[in-house]
Formats: sequence, structure tokens, C-alpha cells
Amino acid sequence: MCNACGFPAAPGHWTDAGASSPGDRLRLRFTRLAVVNRLLARYGLTARDDGVTPGLQLFAPGGEWVLVPDLEALWREAARLAGGPIDPLSDRALGLG
Amino acid sequence: MADVRSDGRLPLTIVGGFLGAGKSSWLRHQLYTRRFGRVHVLVNEAAELPVDDLLLGRADRLEVLAGGCACCTGRAALIAALRRICDDATGAGAGAIDALVLETSGLADPAAIAGALQEDPVLVRRIVLARTIVLVDAGAAMEQLAGEHLARRQIEAADEIVVTKAAGTDLPQRSRLVATLRLLAPGAAVSWAEFGVEAPRETDPAAAPFDLPEPEAAAPILAHRLDAREAGGWWALSAWLSALLHARGDRIVRIKGVITTPAGRLLLQSVRHHVQPPEILPDAPQGAGDPDFIALIGRDIDEQRLLRSWDTFVRAL
Repeated sequence: MCNACGFPAAPGHWTDAGASSPGDRLRLRFTRLAVVNRLLARYGLTARDDGVTPGLQLFAPGGEWVLVPDLEALWREAARLAGGPIDPLSDRALGLG
Repeated sequence: MADVRSDGRLPLTIVGGFLGAGKSSWLRHQLYTRRFGRVHVLVNEAAELPVDDLLLGRADRLEVLAGGCACCTGRAALIAALRRICDDATGAGAGAIDALVLETSGLADPAAIAGALQEDPVLVRRIVLARTIVLVDAGAAMEQLAGEHLARRQIEAADEIVVTKAAGTDLPQRSRLVATLRLLAPGAAVSWAEFGVEAPRETDPAAAPFDLPEPEAAAPILAHRLDAREAGGWWALSAWLSALLHARGDRIVRIKGVITTPAGRLLLQSVRHHVQPPEILPDAPQGAGDPDFIALIGRDIDEQRLLRSWDTFVRAL
């Protein structure tokens, strides 16, 4: 935990498993970001991860942004900003709508 | 310990319970304590992939029946496997095993399996159904029993009910659950276990059972398999899966998978929204490793749409 900001509050979301070395952890963050952004793009949202700040930053088109600790919180906040769930099987996500 | 029968028939124990009830974890401990003696374990998976056998290293003999639930589409395969076991237990092989244990898929009705054994002219003379043990997830039971006709049929078939994962429940909840179980299966013994270890819990015998409405006709639960060998790796896959679970966790009953990561082979398991912390599996012997896969079991999931989404967000990376 960062002793300046108390972030992240709870360790170990399940999606953070699978990377044990610092290099792998960084690769994890960037690979994940690419998938997340591909999906968020359909909803007009963008996520950023500079590899230094903990968590991810989620941006809405109006300029609103939030810092989220893990993907669980990311999807929750993204659903709030988009006004509906971010569903990878929906027409919108698949570009069918 | 095992019962040795004078008529020479092999006792069969059916271990059933809804998806995610904790059947494999419980069985793993029973095998460790040798409750069943020298045992031949059959594991039935509804999805066409073996996962549970990774958990059950301690059986004397272990066989996986993948590719169909043993109470319906996989019934012929089960009967064939049992006949073969009986043949092997004759003559020179007699006495090598004391008992058979069948771990059913979470979608199986144990009563249908028992019925199939009775109807088979060979097996009825060679195998005796010793008992049916049904596991119930204490936290999920109320919702399952209220909404899933199958969950009720499983309880109704039980001789012995083992309630698992009761750590997070309170006394009124546990008491009502036990009252409901007694209502559905009046003759069955109810016990409590955590990861297979018996863990007795207090309940109030005067509690009222849950209301059990007639389950509405819901879409059937289907298993989908995703080949993760050519996917963009665990990191892409977990990101996609977390979005899917967030959006549709109420309809995805279960996820299981094995995925290779730089930190080792991860065993991924979820029940509804809840993903367990991935467990790192021991390395597979060279060349013998199961290819990476994800099994997704749920309702209202269009296979074409699922594959398209997989290709778009995970494989294309």
C-alpha cells in the first residue's frame, strides 16, 4: 500500500494473479490495458495506466475521471459513466448495434 | 472404512451437488483420510474438459468421464466405464479395490444415475449403490433451492447431506437451511464440512424452512468451452472475463479453467460473481499437460456471440 495515499486499500484482485516478477507485473498492466480500452472504446470511455501510479485511471468524454484500484471497480465505475453495464457480449461491444 | 460385502458386489457412492458446492474439495479430503478404502474414483464433467481430476491426486484409480452429464447425454459412457471396472475386478483383479466413488457433474440428478444402474442387467448384479452424498453450499443454497428445480432434485436424492462453506453464515440462516433440507430429504443425515473436514455447527431445530416457490421455466444451463491456447494470454483473458462476470455474473453459474502464466499454471474457478483466488497448480509432466482452456457454464449465453467476443477482445491481441 502507498503510505501517502493509502491506495490500494485491499490487496489481490484475482485478475492480478499470474505475474510474480516486476517485469511481468508491468507487462500484465499494459496487456490488460489494451483489452480494457478496446472494450471501453465502444462506450466512449478510456482507461490509462502509466505503470507508476497504482490502479487505473478511467476517463469519460465530459472530462470526468476516477481512479480505480482494480478491474472490479473499473467495470463498476465504467457502467456508471456509460449509463449501463459494459457487456462484452452485447451488440454495442461487438459492433453490431 | 470400506464395507466389504458378502455378495461380492462393489459398493458405489455417488457424490453429487450443485455446481460449485465443493464436491471435489470434499472428496479430496475423504480420499486423503481413506474413508472409502481402496477406491476407484470416476469423475463426470458436463463440460468437455477435465478439471476436477487435477484436484484428486490421492485416488488409487481415477477416471474422468468428460463430455456429457452422466444422468443424460453421458449415461452410456458411464455404464460402459462401470462395466469395464466390474470386468477388471473379476478373476485375477478381484479384491484390488474396495469401493467405487462417482463424483457427478454439478448438473446431474443423482436419482437418474441410480435409476440407470438399476436398469442395467449387468451392473445391477455387480454394483450396489451404497449411498448418495449430496453437498450443499451454505451461502448459495437458498437462492439455488428457490430457483433451480435441479438443486431440489439433488437434495431429494440424498442419503447424506454435507453442508459446505458455512463459515460466513449466521445461526438463523443455517437453521432455516437445515429445516429446508429436512423438508426436502426427511431421511437424510445432515453434517457440516469445511474443505472436507467435518466442522459441526449449531442450528435451531425450531426454525422454519425457506419458502420454495415453483421454479419458473428458465433457460437451460449449458457448458461452453473456450480454447485458451492461442488466446492473448492470461492477462488479456482475465480482463475480458472480469468484464463478462461483472455484466452477466447472475447468468454465468460457473467458470473453470487452467491457464499457463509466467507465474505457473493457474487453476481458475468461480461460482456466480465470486472468483476464488487462482491456485497455482504443480507443473504437469512434460508433454502431458492439458492444453489451456476456459469452461463457462451458464444460461442465456449465445455460443456465436461468445466466440465472437472472445475473438474480438482476447484472441486478436
